[in-house]
Amino acid sequence: MSHRFLSTLLPILATMTTVFAQVPDPAQPQAAPENSNAAPEKSNAGNSSFLGKDMPMFNPGSEIVTWDGKNWNINNNRLFEARFEKYLSAPAADSEAYKAYQAILEQIMDKLAPTSVTPKSTDEAFQLLAKASEYPGDANLCDAIAYQVYSSWLAKNNMDRMRAANEGLEKEKKRLEWNAMMTAEGSALEGPSSKGAEAAQQWKKQVQLKRDMEMQPLITRLAEVQALLKTNQLKREVAALQIKIEFQALIVQHFFQRRFQHAIIGTRFYRNVFADGDSQLRVGEDAKSLFAKTTGLPPTMGTVDSLANEVIRDVQEGVQSFKFLLDQDELQSASKRLAEAFILGEYLPQIRTLDRKDKRRALAFVQKSNQLISAIEVKDYTLAEKLVAEINESAKDTDTSKPTAAIETARQVSAMHIAKARNAAVSGDKNTLETELKAATEIWPRNPALSEVSSMIFQQADEQSRALVDFDQLLSQKNHRQIFDDKMRFIAATAMYPEKQEELSQVLDEVQVIETAIIQAQEIEKQGDQAGAWESAERTFRNFPNDNKLNQLRANLTIQAAAFVQAIQQAEKLENNDQPGSSLAWYLKALHKYPQSQFAHDGIDRLTKKILPDAT
Amino acid sequence: MARRRKSSIKPLWFLLAGGLLLFAIVGSQVFISSSSTPYRTTPELDVQAYMDNANSLRGNVYRIEGEVNESLAWSPTSGRLIAVSVQSGDEVLPVLVTTEFNSINIQKGQVFVFLLEVDDKGILRTKKLIKA
Repeated sequence: MSHRFLSTLLPILATMTTVFAQVPDPAQPQAAPENSNAAPEKSNAGNSSFLGKDMPMFNPGSEIVTWDGKNWNINNNRLFEARFEKYLSAPAADSEAYKAYQAILEQIMDKLAPTSVTPKSTDEAFQLLAKASEYPGDANLCDAIAYQVYSSWLAKNNMDRMRAANEGLEKEKKRLEWNAMMTAEGSALEGPSSKGAEAAQQWKKQVQLKRDMEMQPLITRLAEVQALLKTNQLKREVAALQIKIEFQALIVQHFFQRRFQHAIIGTRFYRNVFADGDSQLRVGEDAKSLFAKTTGLPPTMGTVDSLANEVIRDVQEGVQSFKFLLDQDELQSASKRLAEAFILGEYLPQIRTLDRKDKRRALAFVQKSNQLISAIEVKDYTLAEKLVAEINESAKDTDTSKPTAAIETARQVSAMHIAKARNAAVSGDKNTLETELKAATEIWPRNPALSEVSSMIFQQADEQSRALVDFDQLLSQKNHRQIFDDKMRFIAATAMYPEKQEELSQVLDEVQVIETAIIQAQEIEKQGDQAGAWESAERTFRNFPNDNKLNQLRANLTIQAAAFVQAIQQAEKLENNDQPGSSLAWYLKALHKYPQSQFAHDGIDRLTKKILPDAT
Repeated sequence: MARRRKSSIKPLWFLLAGGLLLFAIVGSQVFISSSSTPYRTTPELDVQAYMDNANSLRGNVYRIEGEVNESLAWSPTSGRLIAVSVQSGDEVLPVLVTTEFNSINIQKGQVFVFLLEVDDKGILRTKKLIKA
């Protein structure tokens, strides 16, 4: 029964904490289902209401509480986290005042214990209630009990007076009944006179009338007294029931507030005040059902008393377990045991007097655990990774496989998207870039690699703009050589501009041809054929006259093969001036100097055909 | 004494006779050569002037002597265009040997004396030629 009771009672009390919480937070029930640790919300949630049809249910396997159509993890809801962390940060309640307060409560319970209770001890316990309520942490609960006890006593006095009145009425009733009986007997009908039967009959009627007249007030009064008696009896029963219900409600309220010491004191006063043996709880159907489901027994004051005692014992064990686990550096288990004990026994001395140093160790772990959950919820895997390392270092029993798996998965998937985004950026695929960056951001919004890629892209965009301006400028200056020398920059910059890509491609092809010609000319020059080298350079120069490098080489080769070059140039000049004879002479001279000259051969062929059009 | 006087006269006569003989030989050679050069009355072509601007020489007739370098082209109607080395091979001139000289074999390496006219396009058109 104990295990069943605690596993069921724990979430009930946890949820009731919301109802009676001293720091209510109306946003909490709505926020909880959004939590990643919360189970999916049931579809009929919208139809249920607060304190609805469903009783709170706790699944110990998943640590999920289902109540009012909503589900959340008892170890991970903001309200509980806040209260638990506040408790862990708070100093131990080891003040003299608290010790005195606890001593008073102990005294009250001792004085009301079934084995030692007397009218005198009851009065003493009653007087101690006022003393206990002076302690601020009591929240005047003892005063409430005292008020209820006093009210009950007053009610009982009233009932005694009513009982005395009823006794008087009872006597009056008996007197009236006697009088009525005497009256009936005293006016007994005597025998008829001898004057005849008619006279006797008349006499008899007169006597009967006289007796009726004498009996009438007695009977009426008797009826009144009887009615008054019944009314008083009913009033007394109703008053007794009402005061019991009020007292029981107070006790149940203390129980649900987890003020178990006050609940025990209340039950003991109740039994003392109402010593009629009627200990049945007259509470609402929900509360009745709660107790019945928890204990399997009908709700009575005894049930409340035993439950409260059971909770106190369980909390005591939880605290002992916490201390032991803390000594073993098993912070996760220690924190869980303390959290469980705290849910039940937040106001019990075993919890309140726990050493602050021990609580601080648990606090550090709990804060990190909560931070870890939050970090994973907001997908801050950098922080999560750091917290996992810290938790692993401080708590030997922590199972960080789940967060680690989440972190690694996010890291790998994000890295994959970032790699794709980087490739898309380089290749100028804007759509893929946006898609992959979005996907990477959704998986790991604060991924450091993401900011690096973003800054790279922005830098690239800036670089790209400048490169495009430079490209246009160089193109207008026909400085193709400069474009070729910086081609990687311009290739990257024009990647997303097909028209500019085409222009760049033409420029690069052109300069590639020039480069090939330059290399070829230099090779020919190395073989000592300056005229041939000049021809090679000159041929390319005529197609691309603006290349500085080619111009420089051509100028050098012109000097080295000056006579040949002069002959060719003179021949061409005269050819252009329509002097085929002189031009042909110069071409022949050039050919004489360099027999392999293609320029000379071509010139001679042209002029020969001009001079002799029908030549064969 | 008489013997000494006789020997001093003889070398002078020999010297004079030798001089006369040499003069006679040289003079005869010059005469022979000048009288054997073909078209010697026609001025020799100023090659440099032709190469610089043939148009300035249009209509003129000149004489050149040169070695046939190569045949550049042949036209059945216009004749043969050949390259001729002149001035010891420093310059090469194009010469159009017209069809009237088709009967003459012109081969590479042969030396000819050409009588040429600079036509309206500056082409050296052959008027006469003879093997040198």
